[in-house]
Amino acid sequence: MQIRDTVTIALKAVTGNRARSLLTMLGIIIGVGAVVLMTSVGESMQSVILGQISALGPKTIALWPGKNGPEQGAATLNPDFDSITLNDVDALKKLSTITNVAPIIFVEGKTGYGEEQTDTRVVGTTPEYYLNQIVNAAEGRLHDEQDELQGRYVAVLGPDTARDLFFNASPLGKRIEIGNQKYTVIGVLEPVGSQFFQNMDERIIIPFETAHTIAQRSYANMVTAMATGDTADAVDDIQFLLRRRHKIIPPATGIATDNDDFLVRSAEQAQEILGTVSTSLTAFITMIATISLVVGGIGIMNIMLVAVTERTREIGLRKALGARRKDILLQFLIEAVVLTMLGGLIGLLLGLSLNAIIVGIARKFLDRYIFAINFVAMIAALLMAAGTGLVFGIYPARKAAELSPMEALRYE
Amino acid sequence: MTKKEPAPLIETKNLFKSYFNEAVETPVLFDINLRIDAGEFVAIMGPSGSGKSTLMHILGFLDVPTKGHYHFKGESTEEKTEDELARIRSSSVSFVFQSFNLLPRTSVIDNVTLPLLYHSGTKPAERREKAMKAIKAVGLTDRATYLSNQLSGGQQQRVAIARALVTEPGVIFADEPTGNLDSASGKHVMEILQSLHEEGHTIILVTHEKTTAEHAARIIRIMDGHVVADDRTFTRRIASQVKELK
Repeated sequence: MQIRDTVTIALKAVTGNRARSLLTMLGIIIGVGAVVLMTSVGESMQSVILGQISALGPKTIALWPGKNGPEQGAATLNPDFDSITLNDVDALKKLSTITNVAPIIFVEGKTGYGEEQTDTRVVGTTPEYYLNQIVNAAEGRLHDEQDELQGRYVAVLGPDTARDLFFNASPLGKRIEIGNQKYTVIGVLEPVGSQFFQNMDERIIIPFETAHTIAQRSYANMVTAMATGDTADAVDDIQFLLRRRHKIIPPATGIATDNDDFLVRSAEQAQEILGTVSTSLTAFITMIATISLVVGGIGIMNIMLVAVTERTREIGLRKALGARRKDILLQFLIEAVVLTMLGGLIGLLLGLSLNAIIVGIARKFLDRYIFAINFVAMIAALLMAAGTGLVFGIYPARKAAELSPMEALRYE
Repeated sequence: MTKKEPAPLIETKNLFKSYFNEAVETPVLFDINLRIDAGEFVAIMGPSGSGKSTLMHILGFLDVPTKGHYHFKGESTEEKTEDELARIRSSSVSFVFQSFNLLPRTSVIDNVTLPLLYHSGTKPAERREKAMKAIKAVGLTDRATYLSNQLSGGQQQRVAIARALVTEPGVIFADEPTGNLDSASGKHVMEILQSLHEEGHTIILVTHEKTTAEHAARIIRIMDGHVVADDRTFTRRIASQVKELK
């Protein structure tokens, strides 16, 4: 008997009882669907985050006050909000392992142009900030050392902010208001998208000296810098310097300590964390897949045992007509594999459709969210589904093959 | 040198069969010695429980004897593996059952093609051609695409005969082929078997009905596992004439 004939028989048996086949396949459908969906979402998220990190550049380093860094922005939640003083910043500038040290002061206050108001964050920082963020001017110019030295009231807008305030008109030379103070717009940034769920195209940048004067602050809300050589060395140097200046006992092991009143992170570290996250995500998905395929496989085995009993006379007949053990074994085995493969394919389509819906929704919140699929995971899920059919189909198929033709024919 | 006589198609010597149920032996056939030649039309007749079906199962390679010898086409069949027996079933024998045993919800042509699936090297087009020829032989050409359950009992049994013919086997075993049929359909089925015999097929019929057995040229009677009579048409005719004379 040829494989093609066996597959035809199996397809006929599977399609002959559609409702039962579908219910039998449900476990496999859900398992494969979940794997395809989760790996696709994971892939999309990873590309979003990786996009952000690569936009930053792997050598970019960020420093925040408070041991939990940016997660605790409000002063009330972060008792160490003023821990990084401007003297600390001056000391950091002397480190040889980092360059482009750019302190940041966030300026609060009503912001707008004429009738148009915005709650965009106002960032007071030095020109090195642009180098660390790897961003250029799309229109006009970025602010420079001269603006810093003279403490000029000038502003550079993110492209989204520019559009919010000025629609399609050019904002260059216009005077916007930030906390009762007028600033002249000198440039608009090129779009860079979101970084860590913050829309980086929505910001207003003013010279650090100007922000310093306005906010009357002797500490920085954040500092960005860039490693000159090895990023890990640079992070170590920053930690060593700040602990010494803040009289913090350095930890015996590890990087961070509860005593720290600051947090330093490099893009490279973020990448490593992402790697860990994606490894545990993979482990989690593998677990889900395994559980659902085992559950699905038991369903397959159960229904195949029922099929063998139901079709005992058919098996007897086939044997009487000359079918060998191998022919019967293959027939039932292939039927089980056809069931699981079909279930796998339906699950695959289901997962992809759900993913398409999720992509549609996520696009509204994350510009860079793209439709991504993990081909390796898809093929692995399909192969595992087929393997489930093989493993759980072998017992019923053997039972069928071992029936004696005469007894099978007599079966009522 | 003497010319060697061709080996009989079927030859059994001191054949015994018992069934075992947890070490309890139930003997069914005792010391069966039979010789059936190619081209014969034989009826194995006996009441139910006499062992006639068991004998047919053994002769048709669906079962194996407990003791004794069975030679098929001059070849010993002892110590044949299960797969070898399957090959003999596929190439040399075929069956017509009392309950038809057609695949349900399957077309006539697919039912008739079924044995050819287990014949190695028959191409799909060739299978179809052979199946149509067999269907034509039982007069069901216009029903070829019908599903098996759309046919009457008599038609279903004719499909079963077509299925038995399609592999061009040496022997056709018919186990109570008219048992589930009304008398008209039963007569039609027996006529087909008779004409197949006239075309040269060997037919071994198992039945408990005398009228059905009468179609055969030779009747082997079985009672309680023993062969009690083996009548040829010739001796039967003489016997009935003697009876008339008395």
